[in-house]
Amino acid sequence: MAKTTEVSDKIIQALADYLKRDAASIQPTHHLRDDLGLDSMAVIEMLYRIEEVFNLQIPDQDLVGLTTVGQVIAYVHDRVMPAPAAPKKPAAKRSTKSKKA
Amino acid sequence: MSARVVITGLGVVSPIGIGVPQFWKAALEGRSGISAISAFDPFPLEGYRSRVAGRILEFSPEQYLPVGQGDRVDRYAQFALVAAKEALADADFRIEREEPHRVGVIVGAGMGGMVMGEREITQLYEQKRPHRVHPNFIPVITLNSASGIVAMAYGAKGPNLTISTACSSSAHALGQAMHAIRAGSADAVIVVGADASITPLVFAGFCSLRALSTKYNDAPERASRPFDKGRDGFVMGEGAGALILESLSHAKKRNARMYAEVAGYAATSEAYHMVIPREDGEEVATTMRLALKDAGVTPAQVDYINAHATSTTVGDAVEVKAIRLLFKSRADKLAVSATKSLVGHTLGAAGSLAGIVSALTLTSGQIHPTLNLDDPDPACALAGLSAQPQARKTKVALINAFGFGSNNAAVVLKAIST
Repeated sequence: MAKTTEVSDKIIQALADYLKRDAASIQPTHHLRDDLGLDSMAVIEMLYRIEEVFNLQIPDQDLVGLTTVGQVIAYVHDRVMPAPAAPKKPAAKRSTKSKKA
Repeated sequence: MSARVVITGLGVVSPIGIGVPQFWKAALEGRSGISAISAFDPFPLEGYRSRVAGRILEFSPEQYLPVGQGDRVDRYAQFALVAAKEALADADFRIEREEPHRVGVIVGAGMGGMVMGEREITQLYEQKRPHRVHPNFIPVITLNSASGIVAMAYGAKGPNLTISTACSSSAHALGQAMHAIRAGSADAVIVVGADASITPLVFAGFCSLRALSTKYNDAPERASRPFDKGRDGFVMGEGAGALILESLSHAKKRNARMYAEVAGYAATSEAYHMVIPREDGEEVATTMRLALKDAGVTPAQVDYINAHATSTTVGDAVEVKAIRLLFKSRADKLAVSATKSLVGHTLGAAGSLAGIVSALTLTSGQIHPTLNLDDPDPACALAGLSAQPQARKTKVALINAFGFGSNNAAVVLKAIST
């Protein structure tokens, strides 16, 4: 099972590959749009890569909560490492906001 | 009186050179851009009847474009970006000095983003994971991705259009750009023709259509042989051509160098057959006649024809029949060349490459050789066809372009006389 640092490293590496920049320059506090310059299409492309890396499907309603690198790491971490106390709710921190149709 | 239209910049990405100077030098030297296809991994090569193509073997967008600019578009649109960049620089056309809404982009593309298109379709059907279809699949395969990215890259906010009429696409792009400028809806138009679909599915499709050359798989450079008795189908090519068209007054105002005037254009349909031309040549002759009329020139004034000449048995013969119908005794006084003998059939790019060649011919008086004219077919003999380069004063050039779907285009260029 993936450890937190593994999740974090993989996500930062995926971002670095996508952005063609050094992984060391990407911080969890970075805002995807404001700090890393990702527009909404770029965020979708980046999440597409992360879905592949972690074999995940990220539902549309979860996208709204993913605006910083740290949020993406925490989200993926929760998805791939379900909390032992709540094994039936693997995505405990998922946003409940629904996407406007 | 409607505006006159001139060409002020050229750009090329082709199997015989990236950049106009390289392309034109190779064309005049009669260099072939056709090579063997060594693999279509993971597909068995034996499954392809034709194994030759005019491919651009060393191309990476990073070499020519700012980092990231070509990332979200397919190979054909990357070619379009590179060709447009060269043409704009060649014209010294700077968008910051222009009213951007008066600068249009018209792209001719036959197949579009097939590299990603085929990959995604294959993966979906093999892996059956719809959620893994790439988020950029739709924007990439939508046929106006090249006209869109060219406008974004170079800030052109005027009319933005894509014309897709198979092999005649960018001849129509030239003609429609001329119309837009004549009509006053743009001061300038970046005209591009582009295609890059030497891909496993498209190539197999043309093989199945029995449209491609298969006799020269072991001698690729001999495969594209328009008007020769030994021709047996076209050779697929890839590439892009870009031309900056401006109103004459706009070009004069900014003191631009002018290659040629785009003086006339005709678009017709044979309303006959999806892939076969009418064998009597009447419709092709009519198309040329209408374009000359639009340009205000008579057949007797034409000096050079850049023939559509794809190297198919029927197509080349029909074109010559049509030339004889229209030009009568003048037919053997015309200089004629077949650009596809050099680069293969670049589909959506073909009309733009013909436009570039014709503009360079008008300015230089040099006509590139038609390769592999070893044994000219009497059914398509023209005295002005030559396997050698020719030097002739040319004032009026005619470009032919015919596409699947019974589609014909002809464009007339004139030497600059202001």
